[in-house]
Amino acid sequence: MRFVAKRLLLFIAALVGLSILVFLALRVLPGDVAAVMAGTNATAARIAALRTQMGLDRPLPVQYVDWLGGLLHGDLGISAISGRSVVSQVGARAAVTFPLIVLSLAIALLIGLPLGCAAVITRNRRWRGLFHVLAIVGGAITALWSGLLLILLFSHGSGLLGLFPSQGFPNDGWKDCGRAMASLVLPALATGITAGAGIMRYTRAALGDAAQSQAVSMAMACGMTRRQALLRVGLRLSMPQLVSVIGLTFAQMITGVMVVENLFALPGLGSMLITDVGNRDLIAVQSELFLLAAFFLLLGLAVDMAHHALDPRLNTASDDVQEVL
Amino acid sequence: MTASHGAYGNADATTTATSNAASSNGAASTDESLNARVRTSKSPRPNKWGIIIAAVVAIAIIVGAVAIFNGRNAQQSANKADTVTIGLKLAPPSLDIRRQSGSAIEQVLIGNVYEGLVSRDSDNAVQPGLAKSWDISTDGTTYTFHLNRNMTFSNGDALDADDVAWSINQLKEKQYYNANQVESLSKAEALDANTVRITLSSPDSNLLWYLTGRPGLVFDKDATYNAKTQAVGSGPYTVESFDSASKMVLKANPKYWGTAHKPATQHVVIDFITDDNAAVNALKSGDVDVLSPVNATLAKSLDANTYHVSASDGSDKFVLAFNCANKKLADKRVRQAIRYGINHKEIIASRGGVDAALGGPIPSVDPGYEDLTGLYPYDVAKAKQLMREAGYSISKPLKLTLTYANTYGTELGDQLKSQLAAISIDLNINYVEFSTWLQDVHANGDYELSLVDHAESHDFYKWTMPEYYYHYDNKDVQALYAKALAANDEKESDEYLKQAAKTVSEDAPADWLFGYRVTVAYNKGVKGFPDKLSQTVLPLWQISKAE
Amino acid sequence: MSAARVVMRSMWRKASGKYALIVLGLWVLVSLISLVWTPYALLETDGFHAWASPTAAHPLGTDGVGADVLSWLMAGSRTNLAIASLTVVVAGIFGLALVAAMVSRHTALRSTSVVVVDALISIPTVLIALMLSVLFGASTAVIVAACGFAYGLNLARIVRPAAILAARSQYVESAVWSGASGSRVFVRHIMPNVMPVLLVQLSMSAGMSILAEAGLTYLGVGVGVGVPSWGHSLATSVRFISIYPLTVLWPGLIVTMTVIALHLFGDALRDAIDPLTNPELREAA
Repeated sequence: MRFVAKRLLLFIAALVGLSILVFLALRVLPGDVAAVMAGTNATAARIAALRTQMGLDRPLPVQYVDWLGGLLHGDLGISAISGRSVVSQVGARAAVTFPLIVLSLAIALLIGLPLGCAAVITRNRRWRGLFHVLAIVGGAITALWSGLLLILLFSHGSGLLGLFPSQGFPNDGWKDCGRAMASLVLPALATGITAGAGIMRYTRAALGDAAQSQAVSMAMACGMTRRQALLRVGLRLSMPQLVSVIGLTFAQMITGVMVVENLFALPGLGSMLITDVGNRDLIAVQSELFLLAAFFLLLGLAVDMAHHALDPRLNTASDDVQEVL
Repeated sequence: MTASHGAYGNADATTTATSNAASSNGAASTDESLNARVRTSKSPRPNKWGIIIAAVVAIAIIVGAVAIFNGRNAQQSANKADTVTIGLKLAPPSLDIRRQSGSAIEQVLIGNVYEGLVSRDSDNAVQPGLAKSWDISTDGTTYTFHLNRNMTFSNGDALDADDVAWSINQLKEKQYYNANQVESLSKAEALDANTVRITLSSPDSNLLWYLTGRPGLVFDKDATYNAKTQAVGSGPYTVESFDSASKMVLKANPKYWGTAHKPATQHVVIDFITDDNAAVNALKSGDVDVLSPVNATLAKSLDANTYHVSASDGSDKFVLAFNCANKKLADKRVRQAIRYGINHKEIIASRGGVDAALGGPIPSVDPGYEDLTGLYPYDVAKAKQLMREAGYSISKPLKLTLTYANTYGTELGDQLKSQLAAISIDLNINYVEFSTWLQDVHANGDYELSLVDHAESHDFYKWTMPEYYYHYDNKDVQALYAKALAANDEKESDEYLKQAAKTVSEDAPADWLFGYRVTVAYNKGVKGFPDKLSQTVLPLWQISKAE
Repeated sequence: MSAARVVMRSMWRKASGKYALIVLGLWVLVSLISLVWTPYALLETDGFHAWASPTAAHPLGTDGVGADVLSWLMAGSRTNLAIASLTVVVAGIFGLALVAAMVSRHTALRSTSVVVVDALISIPTVLIALMLSVLFGASTAVIVAACGFAYGLNLARIVRPAAILAARSQYVESAVWSGASGSRVFVRHIMPNVMPVLLVQLSMSAGMSILAEAGLTYLGVGVGVGVPSWGHSLATSVRFISIYPLTVLWPGLIVTMTVIALHLFGDALRDAIDPLTNPELREAA
């Protein structure tokens, strides 16, 4: 309970810190939304007029408090450019990015877990070697390149086998669920392969570790085969670590996802962020960044909690370590 | 404080795992961080995780199967004949045509959703619009417009002279977008319900043309709506939905007042596809019927039997501006050397060979155009000589910085760097966001070389404003332009413009890399898509699609 | 026989170590050669022969401005070498400083550093790079800063358990009792203990920085215009994949092979310098 309370407190402190950091960092950027709206024909007077209309000439603390007040009421503000609420904008884009990440993660797990387990279970040296090579090579491919190769292999039009649409997302969004899903398959594969190699390495290490443990030996002594012991007992032992690695993979996949969204021309959160930063639509950007960061913090919180719940050893062991220092 | 940091404290992501694996396959692991975890055995419980993994696997397989199945069927989705789908590259950021910059917003809304006092045709000439005719006083300072009768907005409100006068006066008062183009306009008044008089402070031969753009648009005086997300205009179409990230759906306006511009198609969907490859894929799969523009290189892969592909002149000028207020560039020989040193043909060839060489500030679709490419032909020897005279050589190169926006791609920067290196200019490239360019170059005038696509037509006036970021100040040019504006006769006006443009080009305050020519591709079943100037004038009412 | 030679030899004996050494050696060699010679000057563009297929004159073809792909890839290797090594330095220093803070004897410093690392770790590299590049313009330094920052945090978190273990060992305790300063204890007693993990982690950071360079340059927040890099070559080849698919292969292949080599190098080095796993090293000492 103490752990949960502390972690929550940390979470809230981090959120407030982040909101200030994000707010200030954005004010340092050159250029502003008024100039962008005014464009290349603008006169200085027009930019100044727009700035006043949008409240950009108010002092920074006032703007910050204004924004924070909105956040507390769940109001993320309205984009200065498009005039739409940030929530609806983020919602529309998350409908592309979120399924993409989930699909990537599913692919990564599908690749990583079985192969990682197999690498430990097999006693054949060649197989082990092959798994080793797979893990290393998979982790060394950039999402950009695997995306390109996938387009060249499997896309309509430019690919050898025209199985999937290559670039773009149906304009009706998820109305045609199958098509929307189909256009996410290649991008998800591109990020999923790299992430999968990571999960595979990790699974192999954690399970390999567990294989040395007394629990697995005990299980084998009680009559389980090595494979049974590893899958039933060993995997359970390594689960807390696997849960946290999956959480982290989720967070780390964002870079790959942004590249892949760009490559496959998907209207996701990544392209939204780049456009909004480009337009200096700061109200939108700060809320979007805040949401994103809050999401990652929340993820970290959830992973920690899950890890904690799954592995009671942490309660005693790490407190102990801290005391010594 | 600092109890456990949970997962982050112990589990080290993917990375330490490799080390373990590499060290003789898990036996005698040297991996400190993995060893750091104290392991104790626990009694095994029923294997929930196996079930969860199995579920994940099953879901992924099902999803994959569905996806493959649908991917195969994707191409068969045909769209209906009462809907034409047009793919554009640039999306308007919002619908607020009075405040938001950008040509995309004009292309989509003017003539389709909003209408102006006068309109523009695909030859860039002025045509009647809401006004069916007009008289100009002999001194050129009073314009009297006679409006059409029984005009309405899409919300049912009547459109009369009051709305016209209000719109134009608001433009001046609120300094809406491009208000500076009609600086000479002092006021508009409604003489009666169908007559509007506009008074100018000085004659302006461009006024009518500018009124075909944003300054002439007429808005409903009595309507209140969120101009960013909604549009109430008098045009043949209304905006049914709009999302700048994906598409705009236009529906024929049932209350449209005009008979000449009755929409041929009930629905027009405009898809915004930023990515060139994705755009061509969308055309090939039938998701869009028209692409405007299409990348010239990619267009070569389109089957000529199915698609109509054509390129046409436009008003886009890729201007490599030299900051005349900069010490190094104040030397005319340096500016001239740069112009001689740039191989325009090569740049155009690498872009697909469609764009037009442009030797001066006025594009071929504008009044006052003449071919000025002969003024500074590609001549490295001459460029080198000029640079030597100015005191630079290969061993002592001139260092210059080019600032341009990352929307134009890295290729142009690479090419200029390469070509200018041959004439002993060491070009440093500052590849920035467009908003940074706007701030540093456009607003502050703080740059040496700048590259930008000036897309607008009739924008020669920028060369007559010393305060504009070009910092070009030539009294002769300003006088010639003033004469051109004051001229009553079109030919006379053109003649002055020609002289002014030639003077500017000779002075070399910039190099005009090329005039971007828009390539358009559409399915041959599509009728009525304009071949010319579709980047600025896109009359949707005439577009239809064969069954 | 010196310890360095023993380490090299035992790395060379393994297939993976041999591969790593050969590829990394080639990388350094090509980077050096590219300083004095490339088949074509980097600035040589020929718009009339853009996107040419491989020929004898251009073994890997030309790119969108008609420049020789091979020359650009050769020159790119030195940029990537610089990025990888600088990232290792920055991430190493930053990471170790954080570790030192996280195992320090000052409770306040220790808890704050742990909290800060945990909070910052969830911010993706790409967002940091995006912000930095907007402020300072796209450049190599932006990649190094963003990667160094992100991987430094990562490193700190991964090294921390080992460092904690070392910090509560008896020899550290006795060193503390004998009056050694905090920094001395860290450098003399804790750092050698975390060396194996650190080395693996640093070589992985080098690899990841190359992957990140490709992604960031593609997104327009990486190396500047006109700067050769593998990411630059990859990004320029993307534009017309449907008509000119071949150009995409080379830069990606080089990136992948190099990153594999870096991963293997870290593992091999760790095994080779550890007296526990390398009996020869014990003999040499």
